[in-house]
Amino acid sequence: MRKAGTYLVVGPFAIVLAFPFYWALTTMFKRDRDLYNTKSIPYVYNDNGGHAHWDFWNYMTFHHVSFLFKHTEYPTWVENTLIVGVAVVAITLVLALPAGYALARLSGGWGQSMGVAIFLVYLVPPTLLFLPLSRLITELDLKDTLWSLILVYPSFTIPFATWLLMGFFKTIPQELEDAALVDGCSRLRALRRIVFPISLPGILTVVIFSFSLCVNEFIYAFTFTSSTAHRTISAGVPNELIRGDVFFWQSLMAAVLIPSIPLALLYNSFLDRFIKGFTGGAFR
Amino acid sequence: MAEANDDLEGACSGLTRRELVQRGTAAAFSVSMFGGLAERAFAFAGPLKYKNRHLKGDLKIMQWSHFVPDYDKWLDNVYIKRWGEKNDVQVKIDHIDNSLLPATAASEAAAQSGHDLFQFLFPPAALEQQTIPLNDVVQEVTKKLGKMTDVAYRSSYNPKTKRYFGFADNYVPDPIHYRHSFWFNAGIAPNTWDNVRKAAAKLKAAGHPVGLGMSSELDSRMFLMSLLYCYGGALQTADNKPSINSKGTVEALKVMRDIYQQGESDEVFAWTASSNNQAFLAGRLSLAVNAISIARSAEASGNTALSDDTWIAPIPRGPVRRLGNEHVMGVFFIWKFANNKAAAKKYLVDQQLGYRDHFLQSKFYNFPAWTSAVKGGFKTMRKLTAADNHKPSGKYTVLTTIAEKYTTNIGYPGFGNAAIGDIFNQSLIPQMFAQVAQGKMSPEDAARSMQGQFKTIFAKWKEQGLM
Amino acid sequence: MAVAAGGVVAPRRRRWRNLLEERRFLAPVLIAPAVLFVVVIVGVPLGWAIYLSLTDAIGGSLTGKWVGFDNFTDAWRDQNFRNALENTLIITLAAQVLVVAGAAVLSHFLVRDFRGKWFVRLLVILPWAAPVSLVTIGWLWIFDSLFSIVNWTLGKVHLIGVLCGAFSVDGCSATNPPPWLGHPNLAMFAIIVVHAWRVLPFAVVIFIAGLASIPTEVEDAAKIDGATGLRKFWYVTLPLQLPIALVAVLFGIVFTAADFAVVFVLTRGGPFNSTQVLTTWSETIGIESGRVGAGAAISLYLFPLLLVVTILMLFFARRAQVT
Repeated sequence: MRKAGTYLVVGPFAIVLAFPFYWALTTMFKRDRDLYNTKSIPYVYNDNGGHAHWDFWNYMTFHHVSFLFKHTEYPTWVENTLIVGVAVVAITLVLALPAGYALARLSGGWGQSMGVAIFLVYLVPPTLLFLPLSRLITELDLKDTLWSLILVYPSFTIPFATWLLMGFFKTIPQELEDAALVDGCSRLRALRRIVFPISLPGILTVVIFSFSLCVNEFIYAFTFTSSTAHRTISAGVPNELIRGDVFFWQSLMAAVLIPSIPLALLYNSFLDRFIKGFTGGAFR
Repeated sequence: MAEANDDLEGACSGLTRRELVQRGTAAAFSVSMFGGLAERAFAFAGPLKYKNRHLKGDLKIMQWSHFVPDYDKWLDNVYIKRWGEKNDVQVKIDHIDNSLLPATAASEAAAQSGHDLFQFLFPPAALEQQTIPLNDVVQEVTKKLGKMTDVAYRSSYNPKTKRYFGFADNYVPDPIHYRHSFWFNAGIAPNTWDNVRKAAAKLKAAGHPVGLGMSSELDSRMFLMSLLYCYGGALQTADNKPSINSKGTVEALKVMRDIYQQGESDEVFAWTASSNNQAFLAGRLSLAVNAISIARSAEASGNTALSDDTWIAPIPRGPVRRLGNEHVMGVFFIWKFANNKAAAKKYLVDQQLGYRDHFLQSKFYNFPAWTSAVKGGFKTMRKLTAADNHKPSGKYTVLTTIAEKYTTNIGYPGFGNAAIGDIFNQSLIPQMFAQVAQGKMSPEDAARSMQGQFKTIFAKWKEQGLM
Repeated sequence: MAVAAGGVVAPRRRRWRNLLEERRFLAPVLIAPAVLFVVVIVGVPLGWAIYLSLTDAIGGSLTGKWVGFDNFTDAWRDQNFRNALENTLIITLAAQVLVVAGAAVLSHFLVRDFRGKWFVRLLVILPWAAPVSLVTIGWLWIFDSLFSIVNWTLGKVHLIGVLCGAFSVDGCSATNPPPWLGHPNLAMFAIIVVHAWRVLPFAVVIFIAGLASIPTEVEDAAKIDGATGLRKFWYVTLPLQLPIALVAVLFGIVFTAADFAVVFVLTRGGPFNSTQVLTTWSETIGIESGRVGAGAAISLYLFPLLLVVTILMLFFARRAQVT
């Protein structure tokens, strides 16, 4: 009975949340005459007259997906997005781990307020910052390169990462470190040898979250890079697949789906670890 | 894989392997083929004196993704390569969606670095202080081709500062597309706005409403201002003072309200630049005001039932006149901080002088700012458009007539100045029309309130010394 | 010689080590890089942007004539700006209500074990994994005036009339389906739905973390006391979840209020500027219309708004924290 109740609640949620992706999945293989026909049934594949058939594979086309890969620089954009994401995550971890630890352990009272102050960085929207940042990027001779993004993105991943890790480190018992110190480790060594390995779930959390922030970002990605070969998917796809009048819907949907599914699989696999990361894994 | 790395290195070290090879090849080619650039360079008379070494180098151009994809393909793969080799310049063009041109321009201006040549689709008057005056380039072309069209002149010149802040390259006429069979059945021709108003209800009842947008995008902004002109209204006077509160404006507001209430549905408030295209191509709309991308898409789709039935005509006549805006106005400017101003100027001149190719490759989308750029002017262009063999035969001939007689700049009868650009981008005109059409405001109140807003905006730009 | 050298070197090294052991020294050393980075990349541009908002800078220029607070007062006088401010508040609030309600319910069930849990969780996570600008383009088609899949479905189940009535949209029917992005009420609803849809997975995960963090002792105590179902939820689960829940709400608010892509892609602020929010209106005025100083001022209105919210939330979070 309880099981049925669960499905009754969870089902609709899952449908609503995943439905646009189902739609994207079917659309990316639709033929133009099927897609732009008001008589067609949107959920399935139709013939030119708008009738659905059980042998739907006869009414699909791979043309638009291959268009995405052959006639746009989509693979380059995916690659760029990965490069930027990995680099930014690395930078974030290098800077946020020590900071989070220090704020959790070593700063006493003003650690809490620092935590809040760090968070305030989010309250400034990129629509405001991108102009002065453009100047900064140019002065550093990084215009139209991936480095401009790699430099700027940590500015919004580090605050959250620090805040998250701060909360996380607070849940790790002080006794563990003290024991190591007693055994003769210096504080730094204790950090490296004992604390960081235990905090792997927290680190995974930061990785997932920072990566998703990078993939999502649009304004900087668009204004700091101008040549097609340097764009990330966020900036490149809308630019190449929307030509003013014409939206290449099928290719667009393919472009959305291709990164989303692997990322979702990745996040899902780490979800348990992620939850442990958030709560410090100390209780469940 | 290697490409990406090359570019990353290039950003830090100045010259990548690829660029070096390319330049070497280009140099070798041009030297061997044209036996020295010097003679050609000095063949230019007039204020521009090109020296060999100023032309060697890069030229970076930013322009929109053309609505006719074949044009960009030709431009990127044929034209700039040819020009670049002839002039020993490595030309690189980036294309972005037209709606994102202002943001990219602002970013480059803030950074004081970016492309050499930048294209806008409306007069870039607000950027005047960041760009170099192009009076010399205009002079150069005028010497060879005579005066430019009025549309171009008033979209690139600032009478206050006496500068050409931009180089008008091309304009795109804005015809109406209509489904001949639907209008035939309704028994009316879309020749006047009054006719359109009369037919609206009939067409909607037949399931084929007219598609006149009132949304925050290019099509609607252009069309609604055109409607104002037809009824004697305008945004400003000939000497650039706000004048939206007029009888003409009120009349135009009333007509649009009638058309909407009888013949349209709420979708017209939500349209993107592509929505009216899509709705027309899906067979739903009976009328749309749009550049010929609709007709060309219909032809490309292979749906002859649709494309043969899609006729093109000038904007309907209002009680005062028949006049419409250009659909887009291609105006180039050169940043103050551009690296290769000489090459940029030469590129502009050469492009205009050889505009016949562009006219043809864009499938008559782009009309040159200097009519004589196509030898024989409108006469030749009429012949060329008449030669298009899509049905009904000769349908594109009228495009030349529209370009010749019925197209004007935004800001008519005045200039396309910064205040007009400001108003244009805030979508204030579509907002005004929409509020009246929905009955939220009376036409008189709307016009009056808009005049107040205009006064504020005009004052702001006057303070900047640009007006 | 070597001994003497060793003797001289060793104390210095020990001194360094002691320094690093010193809390007061180690802490700033560890924090400094992060703070420095953020200050330079965010703080400097922010300061500049504040400066710009007090000038009449135009056309992408980063300098201008001083005008004091004129940009801020001029913005206030503009009806479109006031609408944008109001819309920002409405959209953020409404989206968060949906998110919190949805996440609270969904998380409750997702901690149970059932067949297909892994797959269901995958589906729930999908909106969070997709790049926001791209996925919003997808929603553009879902809400398209002509081809909307929502309208098609509603039409088939004969719910169009009900929908139109609920949103006071006139003249709706199966042949004249609701224009999702063409009517102010519907467009606002569409934007709120997309925001909520996007943030929900994130909130669900945080809520689940919150549930997981309830100590087993508390669970057992509750069971012993006979608290089950709704009572347990109200008296045990909710108070313990509150700090985490507030964190989720806080981030949700920040992501929604400071977001640009969703409104820009869906409606561009239309129909007729009725769904403009502060971020999009600041872009319209500051970038497209060319008045950079004015655009900066509009953007800055967001800061105090979010600041107040942040302080309030963190205050309540601290209060509600169970030590």
